[in-house]
Amino acid sequence: MSPSQPLVLAEMPSLSKLYVNAAATAARRRVLGTHAGTTLPAGSHEVRGVKAGVGNLTAYQHLVGETASDVLPAGFVHALAFPLAMSVMNRDDFPLPLLGMIHLQNHVVQSAPIRFTEALDIRAWAENLRGHRAGTQLDLVAEARGAGEATVRWRGVSSYLAKGVFLPGIDKTTAAPPPDFLAPDPTAIWQLGVDSGRAYAAVSGDFNPIHLSVLSAKALGMRRSIAHGMYLASRALADVGAAKGEAFSWDVAFDAPVFLPARVSLDISTVQDPHGSWQCSDYVAWNPRSGRKHFSGSVAAL
Amino acid sequence: MPDHGTSATGPKDTAPAAGSAAALPQLRKAVVVGGNRIPFARTGGAYTKSSNQDMLTAALDGLIARFGLQDERIGEVAAGAVLKHSRDFNLTREAVLGSALAAETPAYDLQQACATGLETVLGLANKIKLGQIDSAIAGGVDSASDAPIAVSEGLREVLLDLNRAKTLPQRLQVLSRLRPKDLAPDAPNTGEPRTGLSMGEHQALTTAQWKITREAQDELAFKSHHNLAAAYDAGFFDDLLTPYRGLTRDSNLRAETSLEKLATLKPVFGKSLGTAATMTAGNSTPLTDGASTVLLASEEWADSHDLPKLATVVDGEAAAVDFVHGKDGLLMAPAFAVPRLLARNGLSLEDIDFFEIHEAFAGTVLSTLAAWEDDEFGRTRLGLDGAFGSIDKSKLNVNGSSLAAGHPFAATGGRIVASLAKMLHAKGQVDGRPARGLISICAAGGQGVVAILEAL
Repeated sequence: MSPSQPLVLAEMPSLSKLYVNAAATAARRRVLGTHAGTTLPAGSHEVRGVKAGVGNLTAYQHLVGETASDVLPAGFVHALAFPLAMSVMNRDDFPLPLLGMIHLQNHVVQSAPIRFTEALDIRAWAENLRGHRAGTQLDLVAEARGAGEATVRWRGVSSYLAKGVFLPGIDKTTAAPPPDFLAPDPTAIWQLGVDSGRAYAAVSGDFNPIHLSVLSAKALGMRRSIAHGMYLASRALADVGAAKGEAFSWDVAFDAPVFLPARVSLDISTVQDPHGSWQCSDYVAWNPRSGRKHFSGSVAAL
Repeated sequence: MPDHGTSATGPKDTAPAAGSAAALPQLRKAVVVGGNRIPFARTGGAYTKSSNQDMLTAALDGLIARFGLQDERIGEVAAGAVLKHSRDFNLTREAVLGSALAAETPAYDLQQACATGLETVLGLANKIKLGQIDSAIAGGVDSASDAPIAVSEGLREVLLDLNRAKTLPQRLQVLSRLRPKDLAPDAPNTGEPRTGLSMGEHQALTTAQWKITREAQDELAFKSHHNLAAAYDAGFFDDLLTPYRGLTRDSNLRAETSLEKLATLKPVFGKSLGTAATMTAGNSTPLTDGASTVLLASEEWADSHDLPKLATVVDGEAAAVDFVHGKDGLLMAPAFAVPRLLARNGLSLEDIDFFEIHEAFAGTVLSTLAAWEDDEFGRTRLGLDGAFGSIDKSKLNVNGSSLAAGHPFAATGGRIVASLAKMLHAKGQVDGRPARGLISICAAGGQGVVAILEAL
């Protein structure tokens, strides 16, 4: 449910400025010990008339293994809306630190295709602040409509975890850790170069330092740079292929991060209805050496 | 050894005799259901970053959407590209896998220079006629923008030897052979390997040989633009084309061009010949990016899928000329293929209602027509009693051709077949017989492929 009065921004915010501002906010909060409260900002942010750049779109499509068609891949819309979602988490009244947040899950509903020539109204807000066994989590919701239209064509819900942050009044959950993962036979092996993070940053605009280089990742406490979760999920979506049609749902849950460079094993299994029509494709990816699960999810007919 | 210049038949002729098609067992028909292409873009334009696979898939997906072929297992898909990356060895199959067709649809690549697209149509139509398959998609794609660039021969040899070297000294020894010039890449060009002349320079020789004037070439170019623009305005391409990357029309089309404007362009080919150079950028086809597809089927398959039947693929013929030492012009093979094809089918030029002669250059079309009208050429080269004949120019490329649309090499055949099939179907009957169209496409290597289509 979208709150009533959106804050309309004149243009898509700059991610690099948001990251710099987030770092400054984090430092200020640490020095002054100030807190932004224990509730999420009530308002939503909106940018109207957003258009995809065709050069950027083509580069994105080639990088994740999509054919360069005129329809925006669902993951590309996520990247398009991402700065706006970040701007919500970057507000002064946002209760959790933006930097270091962990992307736990993503749920997208693509109800109708969006062509690159179309202008979009994109809205984003935060909701569902709740406990997690390792900290506090929340959902960032983004919606894309054709400019001036009422129908939502793309809706994404990204669940983030602020690890180690426990807000007063929000109970820590005691959910059991997930069961052990038994790797199936792979249907594909991905070779991800050490530059995969930079390559996805270039097409998505997400220059989060943890993805860019060993050095910048170490500065934020990682032992090496890690692949963008949405890059991995977008490749899995591309791998599902044209069977999904133009309207589908797309889920992913992230487990162990993929440290770069990496080999990733992938299994995609398709489920058909009794008439042979595609119903869904379930995917799971893991480290072929350690057997640790990296992520899993599903693309399903609506 | 007979003198080829005056011999009527030249090489030993093993072509089937006239009327032999009738002696074949009764085959079923291969019909053109329809086609789809993306608008053609001048190189370096809207499709600069799109690969051959991207464009072929875009054209294919438009065809699938138009005829409801989602999840359909098509008998076979054949397409090709002239400028092709080595990584695209399975280009057509990869495009099929990326499309909404059933993944169980087989596909193969074909390459016959600019005749690639038409040859895919003929090969697949033959399989349908023989009953081997019931449905097929023919196509072609080319990108002059996203062209493959190879490493130099020197670097390639060093890299291969380096791979075979086992010890460090061996590797260093191999590497020491590398010279700065080896680092220069090897870009593709339109030059003929055996002559070093570009296609334009070859055509300039032919254009001069047949004394084709600058005015005649400019007029053909003007008509091509005018006809194509009129066809767009009349909505002719509404069910033949899906927009791609923001283009809804061929970007080379100049609807407002005039004979005066074309006359101002400077010649670009044949400048070193004795005669005045006549070939300009206006009456030559520019390098272009694009893709086209054609849906072919047996009549039963089309009926059972409730799809239209526009035309039948009647027959096709390939020819080649000995251009290397100038016996014939590089692009003159269709001048030989068409008389053979028509003779085999018991037809003459008067029996054709639409001529689709690919405009590689205006001079190519006009040289071919001039050869057919030439008494000497008819007697000595075609083995006829006199000139092969002349055509009614009002039947030539009536909805424009490559000079206006552009010419993404392998995609031109599919463009022409789909457009001609639609024109024939609209025309229906002529003098109590089905309307008939002739396609003629010249190709690098001195080759040509021609075909006859008939209205349904």
